[in-house]
Amino acid sequence: MKVLVTVKRVVDYNVKVRAKADGSDVDLNNVKMAINPFCEIAVEEAVRLKEAGTATEVVVVSVGAKQCQEQIRTALALGADRGIHVETEGAVEPLVVAKLLKGVVEKEEPRLVILGKQSIDGDNNQTGQMLGALTNMPQGTFASEVAIDGDKVNVTREVDAGMQTISLNLPAIVTSDLRLNEPRYASLPNIMKAKKKPLDVFSPADLGVEVTSHITQLSVAPPAERQAGIIVESVEQLVDKLKNEAKVIS
Amino acid sequence: MPTEVTSSLLRELQSIVGENRVRTDDDALVQYGKDWTSAYEPKPCAIIFPGCIEEVQAIVRLARREKLSIVPSGGRTGLSGGAVATRGELILALDRMNAIGDFNPVDRTVSCGAGVITEQLQQFAEQQGLFYPVDFASSGSSQIGGNISTNAGGIKVIRYGMTREWVAGLKVVTGTGELLDLNRGLVKNNAGYDLRQLVIGAEGTLGVVVEATMRLSRPPKELAVLVLGVPDMSAIMEVLSVYQGAMDLSAFEFFSELALQKVVEHQKLQRPFDTPTDYYALIEIEVSGEADMDTAMALFEQCVETGWVLDGVVSTSIAQAAALWRLREDISETISRWTPYKNDISTLISRVPAFLLEVEAVVNEQYPDFEIIWFGHIGDGNVHLNVLKPEHLSMDEFQLRCSEVSRWVFEIVQRFGGSIAAEHGVGLLKKDYLHYSRSELEVQIMRQIKQAFDPAGIMNPGKVFDQ
Repeated sequence: MKVLVTVKRVVDYNVKVRAKADGSDVDLNNVKMAINPFCEIAVEEAVRLKEAGTATEVVVVSVGAKQCQEQIRTALALGADRGIHVETEGAVEPLVVAKLLKGVVEKEEPRLVILGKQSIDGDNNQTGQMLGALTNMPQGTFASEVAIDGDKVNVTREVDAGMQTISLNLPAIVTSDLRLNEPRYASLPNIMKAKKKPLDVFSPADLGVEVTSHITQLSVAPPAERQAGIIVESVEQLVDKLKNEAKVIS
Repeated sequence: MPTEVTSSLLRELQSIVGENRVRTDDDALVQYGKDWTSAYEPKPCAIIFPGCIEEVQAIVRLARREKLSIVPSGGRTGLSGGAVATRGELILALDRMNAIGDFNPVDRTVSCGAGVITEQLQQFAEQQGLFYPVDFASSGSSQIGGNISTNAGGIKVIRYGMTREWVAGLKVVTGTGELLDLNRGLVKNNAGYDLRQLVIGAEGTLGVVVEATMRLSRPPKELAVLVLGVPDMSAIMEVLSVYQGAMDLSAFEFFSELALQKVVEHQKLQRPFDTPTDYYALIEIEVSGEADMDTAMALFEQCVETGWVLDGVVSTSIAQAAALWRLREDISETISRWTPYKNDISTLISRVPAFLLEVEAVVNEQYPDFEIIWFGHIGDGNVHLNVLKPEHLSMDEFQLRCSEVSRWVFEIVQRFGGSIAAEHGVGLLKKDYLHYSRSELEVQIMRQIKQAFDPAGIMNPGKVFDQ
């Protein structure tokens, strides 16, 4: 069974991002970039399926600028077999990414596609679902457990009321939630081996997709700064402030 | 010496700092009377909280008149009993003197009250686009005054040195209550003895550090953490020399398989890789571009080919770097449940492998039922020997047998020309062993220096050496 897994290059989630001075975008200059954490979990799941003998090949795909080959190489070091880079310029919105991925799905014909449920930069949570609609494949989103069962995949999902398990016919789409697994470290011997693994580059035109934009970003601003706390002198003063300033008690 | 403060003295102390700022309640006496060592029973007479330098001076003058000993107190995260009060001393806690003062971007210095928490300084530096590089597990509680008085080291010494390197100026209240303003932030100052350097690491025996001008540095670019599996100690030193020869390392730490096992089990962490090896090296490098990562990879290949390294991982995100650091930094906390006997010893970097082999041979031979955990900042020659208490031994029996171990270990330290107190200081814990690292003449001169700073002998007496 071939598994296709997607990775996105995003700002490392531990970086404190800053808005550019002109408020046009987030400042990405000299900022540490990494695989989107949800995508990292997707890669780990695909590799585990291969280690369990369920998957025969894991193909990793990323859409973005040249630099996202770095994240593809990391995924290859984690255990994926080969990489596909769809090279684009500037920001691409979820619908375009989903169309490009559809092109890759048609080329590769995977039995299972695993994506992160959302990326931590756009926070859109759309690409997996859109890919499902475009390819007419069933989808299991927010997966915390994935079990292949013959021609089906059972996906346990985290929903508001608790856990829900659904069964999908393969080929299918799964998007990963945080509790699906704990990704491994990239081992240095595997990073070296990953350098020799094949990586193909396609343009959107190769996949027959025209990159269009429906969204214009108007401004990016930092959240309002929190005011410093004060130390009150007495309980009476505290009660007074809670009553008259904060108005949380009467 | 009284263990209780008389009411007239209490009133005088209160008149200096205010009524609420002298505490004699049992909770405070216990809390402020001890540090992170557990061997001593705290017995201070009172705790006083001055808010400015003049108040510190007034307190010291009063203490001198009353022949009352003073223990200066910061975050009390020390591991040698330097801030412990067991003999009815007055604890002078610098908690309130926690203001960050003048910042000078040209000199890249900032003045700090002694009570500024290490993390507070680190965060201040970050806000200015700069970096305060001295860092250790207790940076969230330790105070600058305490860091200076113990010349704290930590995990980045290999690149940035100890606290001493970052002290550009120092204000100190001596045992006579007079104020010294030392070095005033200068880079070059060869006008006579550098008294600042004597106060740094003096563990409060010469005076109270009340304010410091600290240097700040350029922040590192991206940091990557490697954890390598290494078959033996001599291979660790080869790996150190290979990496140090080609890159700027900001840390080079090591730990043993047993240490890793305990941390992974008790902190629920992920093993870096499945191959078990006897030792692990944790290397932190600054990555300015792809070329640096390529160098790190090439060095790894070289180390694998020669058999010095068996396996390894590298962090690909900041979270992974932090998780790999926990494998090393959580060791102390993890093994605390076995109430370990700890030693903080150093030798020349080149002599570390031979030194460890000898210590291990002695402990294995004399105490076959003891579990030994090794870890430390091997890149600077400093290792922490930890012996875990076997369950069948009582605490008293264990401590008795460990003090025998100490003598064996310190004799080896002496033979290797090392130090019995590498970064934790002497305090009360190592006082009896000072002669293994310092000659009689050295200690005699130290006493004379103390006499000059503190003629009445009221500043943290009984610590480091006896008068």
